[in-house]
Amino acid sequence: MKKVIEITKLKKTFGKTEALTDVTFDVNEGEIVGFIGPNGAGKSTTIRILLGLIKADSGTAKIFGEDVWDDAVSIHKRVAYVPGDVNLWPNLTGGQVIDLFLSMRGAKVDKKRKEELMKRFEFDPTKKCRAYSKGNRQKVALIAAFAADADVYLFDEPTAGLDPLQERVFQSYAREVQQRGASVLLSSHILSEVEQLCDKVAIIRQGEIVESGSLTDLRHLTRSQINLKTAEELPNLEEQSFAHNVVREKDEIVFQLDSDHLNDFLNYIEPFTVLKLESAPPRLEDLFMRHYETVKGGD
Amino acid sequence: MQAQAQTGRLFRFTLKKEWLKILLWLIGAAFYVILGIFAFVEVYGDPSEREAMAIAMENPAMQALFGRLIGADDYTIGAMYSQTMSLIGYVIFAIMSILLVVRNTRSEEEDGILELIQALPTGRLAHTTSAIFILLLSNALLAVVSASVLLALGDRSITLEGAVLTGLSYATIGLIFGAVTLVTAQLSNNARGAMMLAFGVLGISYMMRIVGDSGYELLSWLSPLGLIYGTEAFVSNNWFPIWIGLALSLALIVTALWLKNRRDMGAGLLPDRAGKKHASSFLKTLFGFTFKLLKTPLIVWAVAMLLLGVSYGSVIGDVEGMLEGNEVVAQIIATDPSLNLTDQFIGVILGVLAMAATIPSLQVMLKLRGEEKKHRMEKVIASAHSRLTVFSTFILLSTLVALVFQLLQSLAFGGSAVAVGYDVSLTDIITAGLGYVPAILLMIGVAAILIGWFPKLTSLIWLYHFFVFVVFYFGGLFDIPEVINGLSPFYHIPEQPIESWNWTVTLVLTALALLFMAIGSIGYRKRDID
Repeated sequence: MKKVIEITKLKKTFGKTEALTDVTFDVNEGEIVGFIGPNGAGKSTTIRILLGLIKADSGTAKIFGEDVWDDAVSIHKRVAYVPGDVNLWPNLTGGQVIDLFLSMRGAKVDKKRKEELMKRFEFDPTKKCRAYSKGNRQKVALIAAFAADADVYLFDEPTAGLDPLQERVFQSYAREVQQRGASVLLSSHILSEVEQLCDKVAIIRQGEIVESGSLTDLRHLTRSQINLKTAEELPNLEEQSFAHNVVREKDEIVFQLDSDHLNDFLNYIEPFTVLKLESAPPRLEDLFMRHYETVKGGD
Repeated sequence: MQAQAQTGRLFRFTLKKEWLKILLWLIGAAFYVILGIFAFVEVYGDPSEREAMAIAMENPAMQALFGRLIGADDYTIGAMYSQTMSLIGYVIFAIMSILLVVRNTRSEEEDGILELIQALPTGRLAHTTSAIFILLLSNALLAVVSASVLLALGDRSITLEGAVLTGLSYATIGLIFGAVTLVTAQLSNNARGAMMLAFGVLGISYMMRIVGDSGYELLSWLSPLGLIYGTEAFVSNNWFPIWIGLALSLALIVTALWLKNRRDMGAGLLPDRAGKKHASSFLKTLFGFTFKLLKTPLIVWAVAMLLLGVSYGSVIGDVEGMLEGNEVVAQIIATDPSLNLTDQFIGVILGVLAMAATIPSLQVMLKLRGEEKKHRMEKVIASAHSRLTVFSTFILLSTLVALVFQLLQSLAFGGSAVAVGYDVSLTDIITAGLGYVPAILLMIGVAAILIGWFPKLTSLIWLYHFFVFVVFYFGGLFDIPEVINGLSPFYHIPEQPIESWNWTVTLVLTALALLFMAIGSIGYRKRDID
């Protein structure tokens, strides 16, 4: 697959704060990549470097094989961006701003698509921007982005302020651009959104990518929850290497099972009479939470 | 020229959102020029009257206020216009350009609008460059408008060359301070900081020229205001200050673009300090919170007022020296002590200082509306504070600012006058300064009514303040009808030390001010909060 975004060993410091220490990951053609991590981990900094808005201290970042700082203008012809906090000129209408943004691309505006987007997002383009709520300002940027025929979409918490229905509209458009071969980098705190939408995720923590890969791969790193009931007493389950956090409640046992030791568990349970065996699939949220929580614990 | 991609389109767009503001500024500028030239032609048509004025203007103190006396031997309408209208005009046009540049550069960057624009295929310099074009365009129009007005309304002394030079001098001042602002917009990472730095440069230029014009001439030439004043339109028609000014602007613009091209979006070159982790117990009170909102601008203002007071105070000693050498003036004073030029000067300067001190007081009051517009006031009002408490707190703080600033500046002015050896009583000057407080309170009262009843028209208070200033400043030059004069609260304040303290005026103005504040608070309690 063709790499569209290539980020290698990005570093960036603001004064004394190290915002990025080592950020490396790729986005391929036609992929939706989820970019997640706690507040202040460096998501926005990375995206702003990709946009050539700020300059990395070291490392390289390329889009379409071109340098994001030096070739910003030619890259931006094929890139659409939506930040999480959209501010607009208070005395212009939403419709005017959308047209302005599209005209800056130099391409002819597909009026039908613009109208369709406004309808789907239930957006009134005739109001002045000062009268828009946060969600509506967000829609201005989203409509302008999706109406553009871009090859790369950079989204920095794009659905902040949208209601759940419009969040779905966003997701369906994101899938649509993916189907025509565009790539999407989606930074988000809404983990369910990332789980539904993304083929790959990159998890950033304190300026460093700590995990990246396809969701299926990452699932192996996590554990399933097992609810187990057997006729006999289960001896020394606690001592098994695959079992974690074993809790015995009445006659039921609940524990966490390493996903890649499923077979060991089946071998272990084989001699017993199993009355009930429920397995909850590994939730992505658990995986993410692990990374969020280590930060809170102060490492 | 990748960095300039789409500059043209952005410029047209900027024009679309700016044209009304530029038009209003130009109308204001035209009005200023019309008022000046028309009044001079009407009032000072008689050469003997102009000669008398020239003698009065020889007073170094008057020169500190208006500008160096030029063309004294043939004090034509043109010379009069150049001497008395230039500096105030420069300051107004500089402010126009400073605001224009901040609005179109750092403000939009701070709001995140620039981020959206620059994420589109636009060059890194396109946004700033389109602001530069707007700056050039509006100042070019300013030059054309003022030159045309002068030619249309002037007498024979208003030559074509002088009129063109005057127009160009206004435009050059606008360009210089616009260019200064382009640089400060790269230095500070927020719009307020960029604006404060630019106003700081303007303030320092003004003070350098006050001191320079009273003897240290080099200082005047180093100040952009003093430099462009050196054009002496209608008198000696010097063109070189224009060339220097344009070259300076160009250098500043190139510097700004160079800085902009290198720096990160949202970053400034000046460091940010880390803030406090906890709110102090003072900050937790409503008064403390209000004070905190305005602390930085108030400190900046206090420093500026002190410097202004000291600058004016330090030139006062020169008045004496001048009087010794000038028999005509000495004679006039000998026959009528009330015409003592130095005392007159003290009265005028104290009035000017009081009007300057009104600005921060009004700023405090207007902050109430500013916070409301940003939807931050609702959090304060939704908490345990009643609207009346909030409103009164702002009134209280702006009243305190009026008092403290008046005290500070009269102390600085009087103190430096005493320090340079001028024989004046410090207490008299401070009393005279405090005499203006009721007038400032009245201005606060008017602002309170606007905020309480006509929140959308709040900024009209600046127009009123400008009117008050015009009445005061040019009241000595023209016969302004009593009715119009009377609309300014400052007009009623006795000009100490020539006139004496008047309790009736003090009490009536204060009572009126309190009434206005009360009316404002009623409106504020009843209306919707944005």
